[in-house]
Amino acid sequence: MPQPPRLNAVALISPQNHPILIRTFQKGDELKYHYVAHTSLDVIEERTSGKTKPTECYLGLLYVMDDVAAYGYITPLKVKIVIALALTDSVVRDADVVMIFKALHMAFYEAVSNPFLKLDGVSESTADYSPYQAVGSMKWKRLRQAVDEIHRALCAYAP
Amino acid sequence: MANQHVLVTYTAAQSFQSSDNWIHFLAALRSLLPLRNLHWKPTSRPNLRTVQELDVSLVPLDSLRDEHTSQVPVTLLEKPLLNLYVLSCEDAETYKTTVKKQIKDWQTSVNQRKNQEWLIIHVVRPDSKNVDRKFFSMKGSVLDKIKGDFNIDKRDRCVQLPWSTGEQSPAVWADLIGKIKDGLLAAFDTAVLAREEEVKRSEGQRHMPGWNFCTYFILKESLASSFEGVNLFEDALQQYNELEATFMNVLGEKNMSWFGNLINPAPKDDSLPLLSPSKKSYRELILANTISIFDLRVYLLARQSMLLNKMQQPIEICRKAILFLSTFGKRLREVEMALPEYFVESWIFSSALSVVDQCDAWASSWPELEGIALARYNAIKGELLELAKSQLDILGVKVGHLPPKPPFLMALQTVSTTPSSPLPERNPSQRISKYEIMLAIGDIEAFYDLYCTISNRAIDAYVKAGRRKFALKLHGCLAALDNHRGRLSNALAIFSSLPAHYAPHMWTSLESFMLSHAIDTHAVLQKPRDREWIHLLLGFLKTYVNEPTSESLISHDINEYVTKLVTALREASEKLDSDLPHLDHPIMALEITKDTRCSQDEDLVYLTVLIHNRLPCDVHVDKIGVVLVGEDTTRLKFTAEFTKLVSGRNYLVLTCPTSSHGTYVHESVEIRIARLHFQWNRKSGGGAGDALTSRKHAIPVHLPRNPESLDVQLCLPPNTALGTTPKLHLTISSGRNDLATASVRLSAPAGVTFDFVNSELHSEGVGEIDTSEDGISIFNVPSNSNVIISVPHSDATRFRAIKIDVSITYKTVRDPALEWTLRTSRIVTVALPIAVNVEDFFRGERQVIPGLDSSVKLRTMFVTRLFSRFTISTTTQQHVRILSARLLSAPDAEQGAKIFGCHPSHSVMTAVPDRPVSYIFCIESDRGPVSDPLNLVISYRLLREEVEALVNKTVENALRQLSQESDVGTKLVQAIIEYLECDASWVELYNTTGELIIPSSLDVGEELEEAFSPVQKILSQPNPPSPSLGPWREMTIPVDVPKMNIVADAWIAIQPPPQTEELPRNQLPSIYAGQALSATVYITASLHWNDPENKRQRYRMRYDVEERTKDWLICGRKRGDFLVQDKSTFSVCLTLIALHHGHIELPKVEVKPLPLDGEEDVPKVLPSSDTHQSHGAETVLVLPRGGRSTFIVSMGTKRV
Repeated sequence: MPQPPRLNAVALISPQNHPILIRTFQKGDELKYHYVAHTSLDVIEERTSGKTKPTECYLGLLYVMDDVAAYGYITPLKVKIVIALALTDSVVRDADVVMIFKALHMAFYEAVSNPFLKLDGVSESTADYSPYQAVGSMKWKRLRQAVDEIHRALCAYAP
Repeated sequence: MANQHVLVTYTAAQSFQSSDNWIHFLAALRSLLPLRNLHWKPTSRPNLRTVQELDVSLVPLDSLRDEHTSQVPVTLLEKPLLNLYVLSCEDAETYKTTVKKQIKDWQTSVNQRKNQEWLIIHVVRPDSKNVDRKFFSMKGSVLDKIKGDFNIDKRDRCVQLPWSTGEQSPAVWADLIGKIKDGLLAAFDTAVLAREEEVKRSEGQRHMPGWNFCTYFILKESLASSFEGVNLFEDALQQYNELEATFMNVLGEKNMSWFGNLINPAPKDDSLPLLSPSKKSYRELILANTISIFDLRVYLLARQSMLLNKMQQPIEICRKAILFLSTFGKRLREVEMALPEYFVESWIFSSALSVVDQCDAWASSWPELEGIALARYNAIKGELLELAKSQLDILGVKVGHLPPKPPFLMALQTVSTTPSSPLPERNPSQRISKYEIMLAIGDIEAFYDLYCTISNRAIDAYVKAGRRKFALKLHGCLAALDNHRGRLSNALAIFSSLPAHYAPHMWTSLESFMLSHAIDTHAVLQKPRDREWIHLLLGFLKTYVNEPTSESLISHDINEYVTKLVTALREASEKLDSDLPHLDHPIMALEITKDTRCSQDEDLVYLTVLIHNRLPCDVHVDKIGVVLVGEDTTRLKFTAEFTKLVSGRNYLVLTCPTSSHGTYVHESVEIRIARLHFQWNRKSGGGAGDALTSRKHAIPVHLPRNPESLDVQLCLPPNTALGTTPKLHLTISSGRNDLATASVRLSAPAGVTFDFVNSELHSEGVGEIDTSEDGISIFNVPSNSNVIISVPHSDATRFRAIKIDVSITYKTVRDPALEWTLRTSRIVTVALPIAVNVEDFFRGERQVIPGLDSSVKLRTMFVTRLFSRFTISTTTQQHVRILSARLLSAPDAEQGAKIFGCHPSHSVMTAVPDRPVSYIFCIESDRGPVSDPLNLVISYRLLREEVEALVNKTVENALRQLSQESDVGTKLVQAIIEYLECDASWVELYNTTGELIIPSSLDVGEELEEAFSPVQKILSQPNPPSPSLGPWREMTIPVDVPKMNIVADAWIAIQPPPQTEELPRNQLPSIYAGQALSATVYITASLHWNDPENKRQRYRMRYDVEERTKDWLICGRKRGDFLVQDKSTFSVCLTLIALHHGHIELPKVEVKPLPLDGEEDVPKVLPSSDTHQSHGAETVLVLPRGGRSTFIVSMGTKRV
């Protein structure tokens, strides 16, 4: 039985490429994972802008850098989810990764369905009605908790 | 492994071999090779495989030696797949005797071999073919015999080739080639099937003890190389992929007993090209079971890459390489202690570079990559180069060339240093072999150069691939390197330029990281803290406040850091040489509360605002200004100075020296820190969510009115005189202020201008004024007094009302340094509420002219009187009370006209829209026309003013009894007036009786309740309009007395017929219809109202008696001209016959002046004239003629 992958960081990015939430589970490596999230956008764009549009949300392994494997996922509403898994020599099954993504997508979906979310997030410009707020803002407290919960569940699963 | 061709053996019949044809035949056959388009339908796979081109080696059968010595499975192509036997025998006898046996021997030897096919080729001369058939048709041909002898199953393994030397046509070979292909494929298929069976069997034994992965590997690889041999690269790659997967499985099961070590580091291991499968004798190592996992995996990757190369897929090669280097590098790090120093870094570094070089080398032989593929290729190359770069990061930190801090630490990996098995000691004699790395470790400059070169190569590749964000990241690393190397200005330039790339997508974390580095670098450089620095700092603070909670990427204590920066910001902004405005910075947020109040003893308005300081530290600001804008864009600026804004919420009270009041919305905010001006405008309001206000909509702020503050009123003066320059009364109430100076500016829109210079101080007010072109200055006004100034203005009659903006700036005696303002606007109704029309009637006094027939009361009139009727009507829907209207001659006019008014029926008249009020005056002038205009003076007021005055007075009286404050009165009056404004139903009752019924249910508020009920009671009493209550307006209208050249009076006198009987005196005798009456027309003319110099003039006039054919028959001169002079009477006799009986009006006499006689060419002027019909109201009673009347009555006719 292969080990479930270790989750190092999660990034949720809005359709406008604004970061919604970047959560790092590695102390001291924040810069690295912010870079990972940011650079992943390039790869996601490559994957999604081709002639053949991906039919699935799951974009697979985006790239490997140093000891991190970045996987991408794009929701039907173009919210991008990037997770950084610790690189292992063993095979990472796509099903495992997709499961993590599904959980994150669901967490985001629930957070964004909160009808009171908009009350906090006052947008100045009328053009941008997106409820996606700046990274790390307090408004995503619930989402952050959910993401932490997913991470904890994965850690508990691993020996 | 050498590329092996498919082997095909041949054997020739001895007779054929010895002939010349054999050599030619062999050459011709070879020329047809390689074979093309083989279609293989594998039995074990679903799809048809097509081999485009297959190289075949033709070798003689006897040249092959039996090499069954080795048990090691090698490629299936090692042995021939097809054996050919070539014979050329056309004689059946020969065949039977010799050849058949030879073939039999050959077939026996061939059939012994496994997985090989055979084919007999019967070469015949093309021309002999048909002949043979004829001759040997009975016995059958040699071919048929061969077929019969050797075809043992369904498959036809004999083929005839009609060929001779010199035969060029390729068509003859088709059958043979087809048979060869079939044979080859059939043999290959069986061979593959067999080998796959073996592989499966071996795999099935995986869990058995003694199973060896290496053996399995070799077996499986033989399949792969077989596929490769027949150019089926995908199938070959598939084998390797399966091998890799199996390996991973085995690895996962940790069943590695049959393996050697993870790695047996050999010299140069780290610098050998990764993708070369021949750099080591891997197969021998595998066979010897001594291969290390490292070598095995490198070998696997190299083989896969070779195949991918043949499939022309460089992206896939790189992808596999990078994944392998990363994952396996991580494993290697676990045993790093046992490896030569820096081995892993050196290996990954050189391998990554070698993969890039190798791929480029391979790619050069392919057709050019284009479009997306090229971009992807560049992207993956960039990743490889970046991987190499990150090895340099690790190395640099380890060696000490780079500081152990981000971003160099990013690549450093956290590896569990407790491996499962004890590691062998590091062999100190082993060294890494990559030259660049060795050089870089020793020489710091070389290291930097290498770092930059690799980084720039990666950036280059990323840029070509369109991966901007990857390139940005590397730029950031380079900047950090520059910073470390002391190339600070370089670093600063990059750090300052990078945030702009992160800002648009709100990646505040990275933006703030770059900015903080830029600031730090700036500090180290000790460059002057100029505007650019301030902009950097403000940018940083923006990111800080936008992202206060998230994990910051800045290592040091962020709050302390920010505090220091803010202090530095203040110092720097003090040194600026000019003001630096900065728009919409989110460090502060301002909210305007609704808490506004007036100062008790000064004209100050206080506004409480909530400033949210988002910085972690206190900020000293020099000035805070909030601009509120009211209607008509009047602006008020509220300020506070020198305050400390603590971190978090600050309630501040801002003041504005003004006496303006009303509703305002806030427009902009300015906070000054030394010369740095933070500005926020509500309208521009960019920056989603973080701009100044947290609400999109403007919050209205109500500034209360302070009754004691300075106030201004504008109204029409109580006395209006038409025909003079219009004026307005400007009343400035000083309230509680002792005004030292005040300057007033009025401005009216739409072209109405004020003549300030000719403004006058009204006698009722106090103070002094000084006028200038653009305003009025007022001095020395004590408190609680009014300054009344009448200001002339240009004609505004085209407007009903004009809106006048008033702007007053004033200083008080108490605080002369401070300048107060009052900005407001007033609407003044300039249209008059009443209009006056005049009608003139000239009349004379009747005089009996003596000397004529005494029986006729002959009258004539000498017109000396003028009656003027003035009709006063309202111009609006407002009712107007009119106290009086007087017609006065101008005070300085010469006497001569006497004016008599009439007594009005009521003391106060009311003009309503559909019922004007008329006044009649009689002007008597002894000396002819009145040349000076008279003045009509009307005292009037609007009903509204009257009611207001009434309510005011009543409330005042009521309050006096209750001894309450006047403040209550104002509110009460306001409440009542508001009620009256809403509804017009009270007007009719009030007009009639003077009762004002206010319902007691009117909600006036609790405090007013007490005063309200007596007021209500008094108002509901009948109250006839009284002239004494309240002020009256006066309007003076100049009236010209009309002039008239001729005023005539026409009269028809009827002389009754002579009577038989004496009538009582003064009674006209009866007149009967049809009776002829003699009448005289008298026309008396007067030149009294003519100009005195024209009095002597004679005028010609024409009279014309009206034709009334239904009433009168007129005989005589009914029309004629006559001469006129003053007080002359003209008479003419007519005969009138009344046509019917009744009261009949006499016909009118029209008198018209004729043009004056003048010179011929002068246009004739018609003198003005007015004729009064004296008999206009008289009628004559005409009786019906008496006597007989005949009536015809129908007597009735007998009806049949």
